[in-house]
Amino acid sequence: MTQIDRALSWLLGGRKPAASHLLLAPASLWLIFLLVIPAGGLIILSFAKNGPYGAIVWEFGLHNYARAFDPKYLPVLLRTLGFAGATTVLCLVLGYPLAYFLTFRAGRWRNALLVGLMVPFWSSCLVAYYSWMIVLGKEGLINTALLRAGFLSAPIGFLYTPFAILLGLVYFYLPFTVLPLYASLEKMPRSVVEAAYDLGAGRWTAFLKITLPLSLPGVVAGCVLTFIPCLGDFLTVEILGGPRYYLLGNLISNQFMMAQDWPFGSALTSLLLAGLVGGLWLYQRWEKA
Amino acid sequence: MAVYCAALFGFLYLPLGVMCVFSFNDARRNVVWRGFTLKWYKALFHDAELMSAMLTSLELAATAAVIAAILGMLASYAMVKHKPFRARGAYDALLNVPLMMPEVALGVGILTFLVRAGYELDFTALACSHALICLPYTVAAVRARLISLQESSLEDAAMDLGATEWQAFVKVTLPLAMPAIISGALLSFTVSFQDFVTSFFVAGIGIVTMPIKIYSMMKFGVTPEINALSVCLLLATFLLIGLNAAFAVRPDEASRH
Repeated sequence: MTQIDRALSWLLGGRKPAASHLLLAPASLWLIFLLVIPAGGLIILSFAKNGPYGAIVWEFGLHNYARAFDPKYLPVLLRTLGFAGATTVLCLVLGYPLAYFLTFRAGRWRNALLVGLMVPFWSSCLVAYYSWMIVLGKEGLINTALLRAGFLSAPIGFLYTPFAILLGLVYFYLPFTVLPLYASLEKMPRSVVEAAYDLGAGRWTAFLKITLPLSLPGVVAGCVLTFIPCLGDFLTVEILGGPRYYLLGNLISNQFMMAQDWPFGSALTSLLLAGLVGGLWLYQRWEKA
Repeated sequence: MAVYCAALFGFLYLPLGVMCVFSFNDARRNVVWRGFTLKWYKALFHDAELMSAMLTSLELAATAAVIAAILGMLASYAMVKHKPFRARGAYDALLNVPLMMPEVALGVGILTFLVRAGYELDFTALACSHALICLPYTVAAVRARLISLQESSLEDAAMDLGATEWQAFVKVTLPLAMPAIISGALLSFTVSFQDFVTSFFVAGIGIVTMPIKIYSMMKFGVTPEINALSVCLLLATFLLIGLNAAFAVRPDEASRH
């Protein structure tokens, strides 16, 4: 047995914690330098002051946070919460029947449909939104069709409206709601529903009293997995919404790429991260209860 | 109910279908059908800037996928095979953070850190950032595979027959884990190839990836060239997902080895 072989075997055998830490070191390096330190840096920066020409003045205070809640920016935060909430509710209402169908009715089509559901998600968000521009635009499919049919005299501006934003968000986040719902419905033992039928429950009663309560973990997981990413969404408004409907993600991007106010941008990002951590914390508490 | 679900799938696929159809349409600005043409596709291949963006994206995705595969393999090996050690839970939690982290926060965080550290934004920085986003996918894929291999205890058998841990790893574990590593790498490739948000923040001025190029073209409105380009991107995604499905480990497969 050579020296190298022995060293590598020590590393792979993992009888000492040092070996485990060593194997995990490359991944940790990545996580620390590109995730932990940047996030920490943003939080520190969020207490600093913005100087002229984007210079950073190290005077610590809460002014950036105060500014985030002043009447100029508060609507953006509220709008973000509103859109995220509306998207979550819509995805849930639209997605529940789909998850139910996939679990109980789809039969041999189930796997194909599950993959089919994921494909728009795997295809670039950019491409998906671009294709909505073709459908919704002033010279787009819907307007052209309606004008030709004589239902309209002038094209409707669907794009750059709250409707388009909501449509884009629901389009993109629907799988995030459906998959956890599907997972929890799938886990449910079929015999419980059959027992309810045997005891004389109708379809609706069985659904309301048995299926729905048992799928509640999936409902909550789906809501969390939709709501939280929605809070940080950036591309939807960038493409389908426009500056009038800026959400938190766009405001953050603007501070870094255009306004060159990095401390304020950092404060906004810290708020976003606080929302994320808070949401996950609530979810974990609910899960344990 | 079946009708409702069909309608929902229609909603998901309608825009993609429309885009495909009109990428073959012989009209510059309109969504009225003017006849079949391939000229938009031909134009793509003669656009030097586009081809260079394509190359950049391919190179970037390949680099990120390889880095993520190596990091993910080492990390999941330690997580699955080593006897439980302190801080394993912390590693576990941390490895999943890139998945939950909003990409905007990740992007501006890395941007701020690198710029403040005086590092010039270059290809390496972008590739490393992409590798970070891909890491959770490779860890998930490889880890599932290693756990199912654990049950078959082939590695133990090799060591009972006198192999060292290193020999057992090279001759048994690595070949058996390879499909999962490839599957994870393909997912990573897909994730990196289409990533817009992180690239938007972290790519320096000189680096133009495919999604960034599409985005800048979109700023000037809908054109048939972008339709054709998007269709190509969509086809590439289908291909990658299909390949991934071929390599992915099915739950029932573990017991057969």
